Amino acid sequence: MAGPLGDCEARLARARALVEDRRLDTVRAWKAGHPGGLAIGHMPVYVPRPMLEAQGCLAVALFGGGDQVDIIRGDSYFQSYICHIPRSTIELALTGDLEPLDGVLFPSICDVIRNLGGMWKLLFPDRYSDYLDLPQDFDPEVGGAFYVRELGRIAGELERRGARPLEPGALREAIARENRRRAALEAMDALRAREPWRVRASEAYLIARAGAALPAQEHATLLEEFLAAAALREVRYRDNVRVVLVGAFCEQPPFELVLTLERAGCDIIHDDLQLGLRAIDGEIRVPEGADPLEALARAYLEQGTAMASRYIGEGEKGVALVRRVCDAAADGVVFAAASFCDPALLDQPMLERALEGAGIPFTSFKFAENTGQFQVIREQAGAFSDAVKLWGKES
Amino acid sequence: MGADDAEARTHLTLGVDPGASAVKVVVARSRAGRQGEVLGRACQRIRRRPVATVVQACVEEARAQAGVPADGLDYMATTGDGDGLDFQTGHFYSMTTHARGALELAPEVRSALDMGALHGRALRFDERGRVLNHRMTSQCASGSGQFLENIARYLGVPLEDVGRLSLEATRPESVSSICAVLAETDVINMVSRGIGTADILRGIHRSIAGRLVRLLRAIGAEGEVLLTGGLAADAGLLAALNETLEEEAGQARTRALPSLHVRTHPEAHLAGALGAALLGAYRHEQLERSGRRADLASAP
Repeated sequence: MAGPLGDCEARLARARALVEDRRLDTVRAWKAGHPGGLAIGHMPVYVPRPMLEAQGCLAVALFGGGDQVDIIRGDSYFQSYICHIPRSTIELALTGDLEPLDGVLFPSICDVIRNLGGMWKLLFPDRYSDYLDLPQDFDPEVGGAFYVRELGRIAGELERRGARPLEPGALREAIARENRRRAALEAMDALRAREPWRVRASEAYLIARAGAALPAQEHATLLEEFLAAAALREVRYRDNVRVVLVGAFCEQPPFELVLTLERAGCDIIHDDLQLGLRAIDGEIRVPEGADPLEALARAYLEQGTAMASRYIGEGEKGVALVRRVCDAAADGVVFAAASFCDPALLDQPMLERALEGAGIPFTSFKFAENTGQFQVIREQAGAFSDAVKLWGKES
Repeated sequence: MGADDAEARTHLTLGVDPGASAVKVVVARSRAGRQGEVLGRACQRIRRRPVATVVQACVEEARAQAGVPADGLDYMATTGDGDGLDFQTGHFYSMTTHARGALELAPEVRSALDMGALHGRALRFDERGRVLNHRMTSQCASGSGQFLENIARYLGVPLEDVGRLSLEATRPESVSSICAVLAETDVINMVSRGIGTADILRGIHRSIAGRLVRLLRAIGAEGEVLLTGGLAADAGLLAALNETLEEEAGQARTRALPSLHVRTHPEAHLAGALGAALLGAYRHEQLERSGRRADLASAP
């Protein structure tokens, strides 16, 4: 029988296989076991997955091709000053890797993803694709009403393509399953903040990202099993600096980059990788007798994290970041944005000002999902880690 | 680093510096990284062995010399390519450790040239060892120890004889300082033209020295500079560096630049490992003071 270490390794191996499942074999297997079920892909950052689950669909988060895809055709659809994820997503679609998907949702992140949604309609006119307009007015009477109508519209589109009608009971149950996943994620985040040497950021990243194409319940089970095993395994204390990683919420950095930061002496105790799973702070509350769709919409309005694709007041994101750093007892911040990522790079000066004001050290660099050379990042992160460790606020 | 020496207890720490061609290890006793004393040292070339095996052998050798048991170390610090070693308590970037090590070996210097197998790096630091500026040779191998090692192999000269032979040169030949491939072609031409080995080696040393002096100027180095890293013991390189600086001082264009003189130390090749060991002691003291857990298990 495997011990805790073996249990951890087994869960991590499964997570890694899921993360590397570029041809969506997991989705194919799910569809074989759920005849008539729709697999609906979605781009980062946030899509209300419980609604899709309530309609019997499998939500599949798409994160481009990473460093595993050679871009041949994708480059002809986007200018050179555009980030990498839309190119590799187009490449995956044109090479047939996304074939198992019955549709794709493009939530409002930035103009590039909106354009990608438009191209999708031109390239695949027979496939369902839709733009999910997330509200930027957070008044329940205005943005809330709009968002409920928008979700209802998409639910109707899915129903027309064979999904189950959106029933309040099913949605309530799906939200409960999502809450279980959230609780497990929060428990993992709490453990890595408390003992970062027990759950490395690279491990947490794999386990979180493994949920991209898993129903919430199955992902929650994976998280819980991993946590139980991690709590028991023998680990060694590492004298690293505690950092918050900011800016990698859409196009994901190569896995090697996360490892590089760790090796350079940084314990990433909080990050915005896989932000979609953490885009709502805490439990999605559905009061007895309330409409669960309205509750889902309200959670986005009222509990949404201060992320780049959310247009909130000047300074609010900086305040939120400083609070996050303080709450997590972090020593500093690493800004790692995808090259040409407008939302991240537009927010960054504002966030840097807030950190400077609070005397929190930071460093910044850019990446692309297919970055293959990490020496410069290793040196930069190593120098930052040493400076924070040895010179503290002087750094 | 402001730990009060009088209050700080004595720390026994390990510094491990795996490089591209050799592993260096130091066991040091210090008070929170100050008043350091090297109790044990080891340096072994990797020579196609797994790095972990060489590290293990070096750690055992240094510990045995120091008479420190496996569980007697307060902090095990790695630097260089040691970031992946599991037993480490903490890792420090090699620039930081070479600065600290150089300061320990020569307290009056404020600049160092870390010359390793893969690259050369110039560092300027303050009286605490905090790096203020640095520059590295670019990715081209012509500024590296590996380049020198390759040339020695082509010439059939044992690496340990390179420095001595270089000092015997009477008419050093000029070699490309831009590209290792061009420099190697230069060397092949020189051999076919019958140029002596000593003159070729001194030419190579001068080519490397030219690049390193440019790095020193770029960081604003002044006064004494300590040569550290694997090539610290190369007397030919040291002579070429000071020769280049003297020539610079004699030229109108560079005469006004601050005076520089490069020197070395018998343990300068251990500067990274020594710096790591001392910084480890400092961190251990910091962690104890702040109440953050320092759960040091047994040494490898």
